[in-house]
Amino acid sequence: MNIKTALRILSITAVLAIAWGLRVRAADKLPIDFDEDDYLRAGQEYAHLIRTLNWSGFLETNYRTEHPPLAKIAYGIVFSFLPEQPLVEDVAITASPAKTLPKDLLWAGRKEAAGFGTLTAFLLALVNPLAGFLLATHSFTIKYTSQIMLDGLSSLLSLGTVLAYVQYKRKHRAVWLIVSSVFLGLAADSKYLHGTVGFAILVDQIFENRENLIERKFKALLPILGWGLLSLLVFFGANPYLWPDPIGRLQESFTSVTYTVTNPNVQSANFPLWQPLVWISMSPILWHENVFLFAPDFLIGLFAIAGFARLWKRERVFALWLGLSLITLLLWKTKWPQYILILTAPLSFAAAEGISKAWESLLESIRNRRSKRQFYNNKESLQAVPWLVPGLIAFALLTLLPFLFQVAISITDFNSASIRDGFQGGIWRELFGGLSGQIEPSNPDFPFRSNKVQYTGFSGYLPVFYFVTGQGIFVFNILWMVASTSLQVILGGGLSILLNQRGVRMKKFWQAFFILPWAIPEFIGALMWLNIFIPEIGWLSLASKKYGDAFPLQFLIGWERTPTFWFFIFLVPAVWYGFPLILLAVNAGLKTIPKDIYEAASIDGANSWQTLRHMTLPLLMPVLLPAIIIRSIYAFNQFYLFQAFFFTESTLATLSYNLFNPSSGFGGGQFAVSAIINILTVMILTGLVSLFNRHMQSREEFIHA
Amino acid sequence: MRNISPARQLITQLLLLLVGLFILIPLWSTIRLAFDGSLRGRPTDFTFLPKGFSLEPFAAVLDRPYQSVEFNVLLRNSMIVSIGAAILATFLGISLAYGFARFRFPARNAGLFMLLLAALLPPIAFATPLYIILSLLNIRTTLIGLTIVYAAFAMPFCVWNMRAAFEAIPKEVEEAAHLDGANHLQTFLHISFPISLPSIAVTTMIAFLMGYTEFAIGWLFVDKADNVTLSMATYALVNGQFSGAQPWSYLGSLAIVMSIPVIIIFILFQQTLMERLLFQETS
Repeated sequence: MNIKTALRILSITAVLAIAWGLRVRAADKLPIDFDEDDYLRAGQEYAHLIRTLNWSGFLETNYRTEHPPLAKIAYGIVFSFLPEQPLVEDVAITASPAKTLPKDLLWAGRKEAAGFGTLTAFLLALVNPLAGFLLATHSFTIKYTSQIMLDGLSSLLSLGTVLAYVQYKRKHRAVWLIVSSVFLGLAADSKYLHGTVGFAILVDQIFENRENLIERKFKALLPILGWGLLSLLVFFGANPYLWPDPIGRLQESFTSVTYTVTNPNVQSANFPLWQPLVWISMSPILWHENVFLFAPDFLIGLFAIAGFARLWKRERVFALWLGLSLITLLLWKTKWPQYILILTAPLSFAAAEGISKAWESLLESIRNRRSKRQFYNNKESLQAVPWLVPGLIAFALLTLLPFLFQVAISITDFNSASIRDGFQGGIWRELFGGLSGQIEPSNPDFPFRSNKVQYTGFSGYLPVFYFVTGQGIFVFNILWMVASTSLQVILGGGLSILLNQRGVRMKKFWQAFFILPWAIPEFIGALMWLNIFIPEIGWLSLASKKYGDAFPLQFLIGWERTPTFWFFIFLVPAVWYGFPLILLAVNAGLKTIPKDIYEAASIDGANSWQTLRHMTLPLLMPVLLPAIIIRSIYAFNQFYLFQAFFFTESTLATLSYNLFNPSSGFGGGQFAVSAIINILTVMILTGLVSLFNRHMQSREEFIHA
Repeated sequence: MRNISPARQLITQLLLLLVGLFILIPLWSTIRLAFDGSLRGRPTDFTFLPKGFSLEPFAAVLDRPYQSVEFNVLLRNSMIVSIGAAILATFLGISLAYGFARFRFPARNAGLFMLLLAALLPPIAFATPLYIILSLLNIRTTLIGLTIVYAAFAMPFCVWNMRAAFEAIPKEVEEAAHLDGANHLQTFLHISFPISLPSIAVTTMIAFLMGYTEFAIGWLFVDKADNVTLSMATYALVNGQFSGAQPWSYLGSLAIVMSIPVIIIFILFQQTLMERLLFQETS
């Protein structure tokens, strides 16, 4: 046995131990959650049937019919070894979590879930130890595989489905395909949503047989057809509750699902469309103190984005699994956090690929740095001095100093109450004392109200970060940047291309007219839109009052109450204000493209779409890219628009301002917290800009190659 | 290539018209408010045209839009602060921009990275330190203080933008001047500066606009009514109007009054200068 194999076995064993240890710890410490009483009761019912050998009872038993029975039966099997206890109370689905549950059952059930969860991490580690490790430590996955939920068994089965399928693709043995389809049927029997993994395999097969399909050789699809049929058979076979009346019972189950959609819990949660992304970006460490040792969830999500392309190349079916599950979750109306467990396995896999990619490019950049030193000579450096000095002094005073100052106060609790002490040198006293180790970092409660500045160390960063991700502000900010910039690029670019066709009439007039929004200060533009959208007195509300249901935009009334709606409403003024800059950039770019290449293209028989896609767009990129980056940064820091509408917790910039502002409502004058948010902003933007730049550069090389 | 066909012309014009309407909607909704003299508080009816056409809102706004401060004072404050900040930021930024564009020296890349970092900071990030520094200098609530604050906002952008403008000048032009015996300062004054003047002008204009439209940080610093700028007064008006104390029309007319100088500047600067902004490589 060589060292590599030994290391692999060692790391897989380590993953097994870590996964089990973390889950048992969580099972011990987590409070009773929503639904745990339901599944525990369901398990008790099945345990009773098993004990009394009442097999026909399975045909009529399925407590909480909106979910299929398999995972509940699994709990029942374990419970049947324990002494029987009276059934836990049957409460309404809207009730808050049970106060107490039978201790031994709760413990046994949670351990069973933890066992399934550990096995899942172990299975993934067999393929990729790093991915297994990430899944083992992902705190959301730990939480829902350490409570009596349905997700432990079903994620194990869905991972099994894909792994068996991958084996089939490698070895071409039918037995693996059969295993895969059996697992798929069982996974759907544990929780319907986990059946999405089947679609990933289906789509993967279509990719696999692309050529056959083009040549109309449909025979190649026979194996996967059999796979699908078998999994359907298993789905019905392993779900005894369906046997008496398959269609009716399935319908009943799904109407219960729609019932949960309209249930008051879902409505009061008022989650935006993109809530699954918020779950992925945050960690339940916010909700439960001292349960999870650490929360790598955010980093896993981040590296998963970086590694997605690589995962696609390596194990396409995992990438498809991740993508299709995400789409399903975004479309699915109920958005409970446990649903993301349908994708945490491929997410961890993508993250593992992302980490190895980042590691490799780090090594490469170190190697390149050695070979590529910047050249400069002393004479030139000396000549630069007189130019740099005056500007540097001003820059240092006006920009650098504020920035360093931000870092400095972010490790104190500086606030409006301690402003006098801060002025009299309190900040430097604490900073010096803290950094030299003379002052112990203190950990005051938020909002900070101490009238003496205190050194806190970096202890403020993590809570602020958890708050920003947990409240969804981070995800909103990123989505906002992407959506707003892309819409601006589409509108601005489209208009420029329209205007630059040959012989468009009134071109000059339109061009001047379209630049108008840019000439209006952003804040004034926001006020103009405020006149329209503001509830009750805006044009929109007044029109709806006057015309009632005949008003076609009636559905927009009340937009301020649902996050999904206000996301789209704010996009309107943002695009209105932002597209002219892109229009100008594209106009300038189009002028640089020589006209004769178009003639060459039309002689070669390219249609206008092909010309646009393969010639105009790539040639535009160098000019368009700076404009896109500028607009993206601007959108990320968007402030005046939201402030004009008094939406004070929408972006990081508005949050930071309103935490700072001593006269704002919530705990104003929190200078230190505001500074932490600003530093987080700079960190995020630096990462985004360098990533974007890099990605675009590599694509350009690809185009030129 | 031939001109586009009539059908395509029609479709194009229709699409352009659609976008034109999109641009017009908020403008019109503001105009119909600005000329509505009948409003005594918040608007209560949907109207397409001003209900009672009148110039009264304009007269009121041009007199004393904020507390008892005259419009002229507000406008003067705005101009002092925003022109001052624009000149300060451009002037101080220009040498730095040229230094970075023309010379290679140790830690140049690190310096560029710091520049970018500063450009990424949201404006509020400058507030705390400047608040303290200006308070210590006892100029926090004055117009000079506000000018410095706005100059600090504009500076990273100015440096970044002018650096691109200087880099766009072909090196050969400057080298020719050097061969003729000109030193760096002469080369800059007689060659680089005139060539990039349009870009510098646009940069200054943007810096001016930053100060002209800023209100949020202004309200953190200034507390004397006499030192309030036009933009700050407008925001105060929005705040006050939710209570219905003043006719909602004032908001519309003040918005229009505030936009007019900017639109005029844009029309004057249009075409040639506009394209200089951010797209140096092409021109």
